[in-house]
Amino acid sequence: MRPFRHPPGATTPVTAPHLAAQQLVVARSGRRVLNGVDVDFARGRVTAVVGPSGAGKTTLLRALNRLDEPTAGRVVFHGRDVRALDPCQLRRRVAMVFQTPVVLPGTVRANLAYGLDDPGEQALAQALVDVGLPGEALQRDAHTLSTGEAQRMTIARALVREPEVLLADEPTGALDRDASAGIEALIGRLCVERGLTVAFVTHDLAQAERMAQRAVLLSRGRIVAADTPAEVAASWPGVIT
Amino acid sequence: MLVGLGLVAVAAVVSLRLGLGVERELVVAVVRALVQLGVVALIITAVFNHLGLSAGFVAVMLAAAAITSGRRIQGVGHPMARAAAAIALAAAIAVVPLFAVGTFPLTPRYVIPVSGIVIGGAMKATSLAGLRLIEELSDHHQELEARLALGVSAMTALRSRLRRAVVAALVPAIDQTKNVGLVTLPGAFVGMLLGGSSPLEAAQVQLTVLFALLGAGALAAAMATLLIARAAIQPGERIQLPVAR
Repeated sequence: MRPFRHPPGATTPVTAPHLAAQQLVVARSGRRVLNGVDVDFARGRVTAVVGPSGAGKTTLLRALNRLDEPTAGRVVFHGRDVRALDPCQLRRRVAMVFQTPVVLPGTVRANLAYGLDDPGEQALAQALVDVGLPGEALQRDAHTLSTGEAQRMTIARALVREPEVLLADEPTGALDRDASAGIEALIGRLCVERGLTVAFVTHDLAQAERMAQRAVLLSRGRIVAADTPAEVAASWPGVIT
Repeated sequence: MLVGLGLVAVAAVVSLRLGLGVERELVVAVVRALVQLGVVALIITAVFNHLGLSAGFVAVMLAAAAITSGRRIQGVGHPMARAAAAIALAAAIAVVPLFAVGTFPLTPRYVIPVSGIVIGGAMKATSLAGLRLIEELSDHHQELEARLALGVSAMTALRSRLRRAVVAALVPAIDQTKNVGLVTLPGAFVGMLLGGSSPLEAAQVQLTVLFALLGAGALAAAMATLLIARAAIQPGERIQLPVAR
């Protein structure tokens, strides 16, 4: 599959920060995994969060989704501290997919409709089509999907909730090259078509260059660079493996 | 009893001759059983004459059950208190109606054995449910977080794990009830037969006790899992893993 390249200027115009971390500190067992992170994610843009292992990339995404609580500082969504928002509502608007696709028991339909009152058959089938899976797959046992299909399904499961932001923690980390290219293309297309704000973690600067307009480089719990992926790669050679 | 002791002596001699090395343990077990049951028999003799003392005895049984189950569910805050609440409430709901409607007379002779059996069943269900839930939380933490990330409450995310823990805890009590009379003759039934009651009377009492046990087990397992879930749920609809000790 041909690798995705984000078309320049094809997204929604940059607006005020949509989602931001302000002086964010997250400590675990006394160690500061994030140590005063300031970063914002503009609406309709793809931002790559890059950095070496243990830099705090996953923790940053988890904090944006409120799966981890800040020790200090705050996460702001639409100008409001996320602690003032209902966590369930926040997570539907700021969706998250994980490196290893987590498949819930039951059919694809049960996975997509999980926690929703009455999503409607058509909306579910459309979500599958949007991620490149056939609508008929709704009836399949979700555990029979390949890893690539399962990752697409988890993205569809997030999309059914009509999020404004998609947080993706190394969404292609568990996939082979073809499946990775498919997910890259899918995320890029969703960003263009839906104006979705995307923050994704990657170890791969080449992937960041293909997918993102902006990269933030985390090192030891701090943002040390925020620029175009090409600039970050040029300014910090060897930081990322 | 002498015949029983004789059989143990035979077993000890066999162990000695065959070099099994368990003769010492056999003797220790027999001596401990004699002393423990002798002391308990003396205490129960005293307790049987006073309803107040029998209430104290039941309280001691509850405390022992709470400590035993509490030790099994380490890793959550206040495990003994959570176990005590689950066992006491379940046992009370199962036992009180039996005496309130006159199924059994409210005398120490009935209060102590019936409470003991039901508290024991509730303790077993609490331990099994608690252990299983802690395992489920650890083994399926990633799945639970994926559920949370889909915007459901922590209690909704936990629901299927709670259900599994309760079902696993109830399997022994359900199997015991299903197979009563086929695989085993339970204690109360045998005791009443040996005490001279008719088989029908013995069956009636045994069934009452079995149903109370099943009910108490279900309530205790449900209560224990809910209390552990409450400990695991953190502000912001997050789920914290029990801390390994």
